[in-house]
Amino acid sequence: MANPYLVVDNLTKVYERGQVLALRDLSFSVAKGEFLVVIGLSGSGKSTLLRCINRLIEPTRGRIWLDGTDVTRLSPARMRRVRRKIGMIFQQFNLVDRSTAIGNVLTGRLGYLPGWRALLGWFPKADREKALANLERVGLRDKAYVRVDQLSGGQRQRVGIARALMQDPDLLLADEPVSALDPATSHSVMQYLEQMNRQDGVTVIASLHFLSLARRYGTRIIALKDGQLVFDGPPTAIDNAKFKEIYGEDAEEVEVR
Amino acid sequence: MSPGQASARPRTNRLAGLARRGGSFLLDWMVWGYVAYGVMYLLNHYWYTRLPEHWYDTLRLPSWGWPVVVLATLEMAVWTRSLGRSLGQRAVGVALGPAAGGRLGLGRRVLRGILWHVTLPLAPVWIAQGGEPYHDRLSGSGLRPVVPDPERPARRALLTQWGIVSVLLGLLTLWVGWLIVGINIQVLIRRAPQAGRIWRDMLRPDFRYFTAPDPVFELRALRYSILDLTVVTVFMALVATVLGAAVAFPLSFFGARNVMGFGPVGWVTYAVVRGFFNVFRSIETIIWASIFAIWVGYGTVLAGILALTVHTVAALGKLYSEQVEGVAPGPLEAVWAAGGSRVQVVRHAVIPQVLPSFWAFTLYRWDINVRMSTVIALVGGGGIGDMLFYYKNQGDWPKVGAVVMVIVAVVWAMDYLSGRLRERIA
Repeated sequence: MANPYLVVDNLTKVYERGQVLALRDLSFSVAKGEFLVVIGLSGSGKSTLLRCINRLIEPTRGRIWLDGTDVTRLSPARMRRVRRKIGMIFQQFNLVDRSTAIGNVLTGRLGYLPGWRALLGWFPKADREKALANLERVGLRDKAYVRVDQLSGGQRQRVGIARALMQDPDLLLADEPVSALDPATSHSVMQYLEQMNRQDGVTVIASLHFLSLARRYGTRIIALKDGQLVFDGPPTAIDNAKFKEIYGEDAEEVEVR
Repeated sequence: MSPGQASARPRTNRLAGLARRGGSFLLDWMVWGYVAYGVMYLLNHYWYTRLPEHWYDTLRLPSWGWPVVVLATLEMAVWTRSLGRSLGQRAVGVALGPAAGGRLGLGRRVLRGILWHVTLPLAPVWIAQGGEPYHDRLSGSGLRPVVPDPERPARRALLTQWGIVSVLLGLLTLWVGWLIVGINIQVLIRRAPQAGRIWRDMLRPDFRYFTAPDPVFELRALRYSILDLTVVTVFMALVATVLGAAVAFPLSFFGARNVMGFGPVGWVTYAVVRGFFNVFRSIETIIWASIFAIWVGYGTVLAGILALTVHTVAALGKLYSEQVEGVAPGPLEAVWAAGGSRVQVVRHAVIPQVLPSFWAFTLYRWDINVRMSTVIALVGGGGIGDMLFYYKNQGDWPKVGAVVMVIVAVVWAMDYLSGRLRERIA
């Protein structure tokens, strides 16, 4: 890789006063425009890795270079400015259930808003139009003023995607974006991520449970086991032996079509 | 692990073990001390009432009495700890068991009790050395943590020693409590006719001064009707609720763990705000009213409003804070991830989640404040209570009845209204 976009260098995360080692000396790099899929069992450190990249979780040791800046060294204020360009999608959607779809989508714009405006909740007209456009893009224009708790799981995740789109992200972190969804909805959500990756040139790092989804959408796969990197390569390189190594001897592959 | 850590660990374990053993022993001793107090109280009460000459006026004992009580309770503690599972052992989750396999029979349990007395002088040696105490070692027993056997049902609590002791403690407490409070049903019945007259008068309410000011009753040279003061009271409650909620709302976020974070500044702010809520909430409105009555004037509406406001701030603040702490963390994370600041997290992730319950609590508080505002006049807080207590002191029961009925109507209406509104919000 000539000019890596994101470099993770010897990243270690220790929880609970040294009791749990979530990540151990993890090193890899991501090029601009990649669709990197992180796989591994529950508890292998996928969520921790994603949250260390935008420092929702403070890394214990190691460096993370994003576009030439070491994000582990940034002050909270500078980190907020970096986060504006990092979209994030969550397994449990993380929407305010009582707010409308557009209300949730607009929160993606908060990093760009001066303090007093955000305090009053006055988003500029341009932001409102942008929010509607992004809802249109995920096929939810007609649900803009519906409360989120009235929406289905797939619709909620699409609201989450629209919220991430509001940030005009360079990087998108997707933490198990389809784990709470059924297979058919999973593909529709994944296709939106793929579209962001291909059309908008957003670098995507997504953690996924199903290998079939990883193979279908990823341009590259890394696998974690007990916080360590056990695989790094193209989707086609994961054969049965590699699969057993990542998921354990008893694992059987389940297809999501 | 370094050698230093290796030796430090058993040391803290030993100290913790000693503290647990000592604590549970002390608890058992206190339990029997309490039983002794109860028994002495009962003896005192019944002997005193039966015998014409005083047995002992209060809980007074002859000079040899106290050592006897101390020793007897100590003995009870030692034997209950040896013969079965005592309440103190139960409290720290241990039970006496055999050192090596098998069951701990009655013989060894008795032996342990006797050995306790024999080896008592050696206690300092055992404490200094560590390990099991001598009475445990010599009788082949030891205090072990109780691990429930998943394959076997636990013994019925009422068939265990600690269960029986607990029930007896409860009964003793109720018995002594009944005597201490001195509930006298005879008086309640004997004097019913007098109360009946008041009831009859109150049920023939005198609404003469409902709208017309009472020429005799005046506050600071102004005359009021019942309706005037009712309106004053309702507005007192309203102003206090609005003011209190306005102060409690911003404060409550400083009293919420999840908003303040875990840095030292966050901890201190949280502790100060929560401490303020707890202290000011535990001082009742009526006490605040008596303080403000001296401060800003006896019987003034201002004193009442200030008292209600202070208590409302603390009570609502605590309720609000707990709501804030109970919000779903996901939306907060999402706003952080989008580059939001702490203020933005509160504004766009916390407030939308808590606002409905904040409204419900505030309406409920208004309800409480209307009820409170009718009585704070008793200590100079102003409002309709002034009139109520004036007529009561005059023995003018029909007019008291009129005021009470108006209060009931207002409180009932407020209750209904706020209940309906809360239903809508939830």
